[in-house]
Amino acid sequence: MERVTVHDRTAFLIRPEHRVVRVLAVLGLLALWEVCTRLGWVPALFLPSPLGVIGELIDMTRSGQILVHVAASLRRLVLGFIIGAGAGMTVGVAVGFFALAEAVGQPLIAATFPIPKIALLPLLILWLGIGEASKVTVIVLGVFFPMAINTYAGVRQADPLLIRAAVAFGAGRWSVIRKVVIPSALPMVFAGLKLGAGTALLLLVAAEMIGAESGIGFLVLQAGNLMETTRLMVGIVLLSLLGVLSHWGLTRLERLVLPWRQT
Amino acid sequence: MRVIVERLGKVYRDRLGHAVTALDAIDLEVEPEEFVAVLGPSGCGKSTLLGIIGGLVPATSGRIVFEGERRPGAPLSATVFQEFALFPWRTAQANVEFGLEELGVPAAERARRARGYLEMTGLAGFERKFPHQLSGGMRQRVGLARALAVEPAVLLMDEPFSALDAQTRQLLMEELLAIWGRTRQSIVYVTHNIQEAVFMADRVVVLSRRPGRILDVVDIGLARPRGEAQLADPALVRAVERIWRLIKSEAQAALTEEQTRRPWSE
Amino acid sequence: MRRIILVVTLALFGGAGLLDPASACAQARVKVGVLKLTSSAPIFIGVEKGFFKEFGVEPELVYFQAAAPIATALAARQLDVGATGLTAALYNIVLGGEQLWIVADKGREWPGYPLVAIVVQKALWEAGLRSVKDLKGRRIGVTQLGSTFHFHIGNILEKDGLTLSNVTIVPLQAMPATVEALKGKQVDAILVPQPFPGVAESQGFGKIMAWAGDLYPWQIAAIVYSKTFAADRARAVAFMKGYVTASRYYYDAVLVQKDGRLTPGPNYDEVVAITAKYTGAPLDIIRLGFPFQDRNGRLLVTDVERQMTWWQRNGFIKRVLPLKQMVDTSFVEEASKSLGN
Repeated sequence: MERVTVHDRTAFLIRPEHRVVRVLAVLGLLALWEVCTRLGWVPALFLPSPLGVIGELIDMTRSGQILVHVAASLRRLVLGFIIGAGAGMTVGVAVGFFALAEAVGQPLIAATFPIPKIALLPLLILWLGIGEASKVTVIVLGVFFPMAINTYAGVRQADPLLIRAAVAFGAGRWSVIRKVVIPSALPMVFAGLKLGAGTALLLLVAAEMIGAESGIGFLVLQAGNLMETTRLMVGIVLLSLLGVLSHWGLTRLERLVLPWRQT
Repeated sequence: MRVIVERLGKVYRDRLGHAVTALDAIDLEVEPEEFVAVLGPSGCGKSTLLGIIGGLVPATSGRIVFEGERRPGAPLSATVFQEFALFPWRTAQANVEFGLEELGVPAAERARRARGYLEMTGLAGFERKFPHQLSGGMRQRVGLARALAVEPAVLLMDEPFSALDAQTRQLLMEELLAIWGRTRQSIVYVTHNIQEAVFMADRVVVLSRRPGRILDVVDIGLARPRGEAQLADPALVRAVERIWRLIKSEAQAALTEEQTRRPWSE
Repeated sequence: MRRIILVVTLALFGGAGLLDPASACAQARVKVGVLKLTSSAPIFIGVEKGFFKEFGVEPELVYFQAAAPIATALAARQLDVGATGLTAALYNIVLGGEQLWIVADKGREWPGYPLVAIVVQKALWEAGLRSVKDLKGRRIGVTQLGSTFHFHIGNILEKDGLTLSNVTIVPLQAMPATVEALKGKQVDAILVPQPFPGVAESQGFGKIMAWAGDLYPWQIAAIVYSKTFAADRARAVAFMKGYVTASRYYYDAVLVQKDGRLTPGPNYDEVVAITAKYTGAPLDIIRLGFPFQDRNGRLLVTDVERQMTWWQRNGFIKRVLPLKQMVDTSFVEEASKSLGN
């Protein structure tokens, strides 16, 4: 006769979160970087120290420069984003819901979407000048495509059963669009918004490097021209913060608008 | 209202042009305040029949006529779906209000009626919950409340409890009968479960395999109100046996047949 | 037997070392960053006529499209010598801890010697945009922020009672792009060096409003040594000897003035031809004028300090560096002395 106790054989599959290690890793890297620069292993001109960058950031905030540049960039970003997303969603819904619009729109979008929008910037400057118009337009284009494509996909995957149910309860075409198709598409719309936000930031920086007088992209350009590498790093940090914040903001907005989504 | 189904036929054509006859010359009348079950093996067109009555599927031949008195503003029919078909982004109350919105009922009145029917279906206190927060049985109760809220002349139910476990099904069946006792519209109730059909209905319409024809219409003489006790009633058992004998061979043939898909869900 | 093999092997490797031309050449090669401008003519002359080779150095020319990147390349140890403009970036590099040395004159903005021009749109000229004061509120194109052109227009404006804030400076990153921007009417005026102003006029889209050197003279360009090249005294002085020789040849050919008028020297045509060859510009455009530099390549050292002060005042550099930490005239002095006259 035998008696054997059963042991859990899946113990090695557990993946702890290691929260502390994650934080320490980032802090450790920054500390190492600071030490390397202080000791002169890395020339300060080529890689400014983290504390130097923070100091420069504080100086620039006190002098108000940060506000000027961030405000200019945000204005362009938000305007371009709103127009691009609005247009993209409208076209996406139209192309997804109406067969005629799909027949016209889908091949056009498929043909123009692969063009890198950065490549269009010189052309836009030729047509619209060096001012705000070309900058906002290139951002609009960069946001439009992911929004149109994602909205289209969201519309197409709307549950036919729900559309049927809506019609069963008396909904006509516009009611179905408003009350079933659009809410169904929202998760994919938000995915498109996040994609669009990344592209918008990229295009903002590119546009601000040509013919701007303010903005984070301009700051990066100017610091690069003048070989002020600490200010350059400040610009890069600001861009990175902008990217992180916009992603976080969109995720929070998504949770607010789509409380019914279980992740 | 009375529902008159006159020589109703439905032929589906697939992409290659092949014709599939789902329904063949169905003649049927549903009396006001009558509970009629439509039963048959899978693929017999019973859901198609319901869809045509509800105006969601066009008929190929024949017609459906509603006859009689109707409350002003009330729709001809409302449907309860097998897969619940609740809008996940709307709360329970908002789901129930959907049909009322489409009827143009003002907001305060909508809220009042929705809350009333949610209470009737036992969901008082759950008005602000989203479907994903409710169990299967509760979701179907919302579906039922949504259909009842528009106060239709005829209630169409498409295998409403098939997606639920047996215990929930039994409880909801009794609840439905209790509610129907108060609202008293005609009900056309599609199911594949013979016991369910016999327990619920005044008459059971038995359809054949494709092409769907009426094999028989069985009168169920059981007294109302019906409850657990009737489950063992010999009259019920006899009716179940009779219907099973009718469709047994149909069911066996359907087993070996290719799976047909509901054309409107393609 | 073993000894024979050992000797033969050693001889082969040793001999190979001696016979290898590449290693000898590697010593002589000097990487020089230049711009394709008329102002680089002395360098082109030195290469073409073998003046550098005479003293044992072989310049390898690396072309750039704006001045500041040359300074960056020097700091990144990709170049030994830069023939480039004195920009804010250069000063910031040294302030940032990377040593560079300004050693010789490579071009001054000087009255009567055309180097950089303010070129305006032909249409605007015809509509009356004729003087510096008319530039108020206008868009002015330059290569980069902190470039020599930026410095120049800033000082020119201040002389007429205006400041940088009265205009919009548009950075276009490279000289060809700056010219294109004027052509495309993206900007109202640009500052560019020869041969571009001549090209703009001959192609009909621009009009030279003024030669910038007539309005504000300064030490605009210099020969800059990297830290390591400057430390290699022998090679650094050898290069300078070649440069001073070329500089004298250049001066005698194209910069001599008799009775206040330019008198072409005996080698004028040759210098024009060499410059045209290396810059790719047409001969008659080159003939419009050559920029001034000291015959022996001597720097206007005080002007360097004046520049730094201006940059700092306008917020482009953080502080002014003492001259002896950036300027080293010993190379050009030693070279001139050893060459005589």
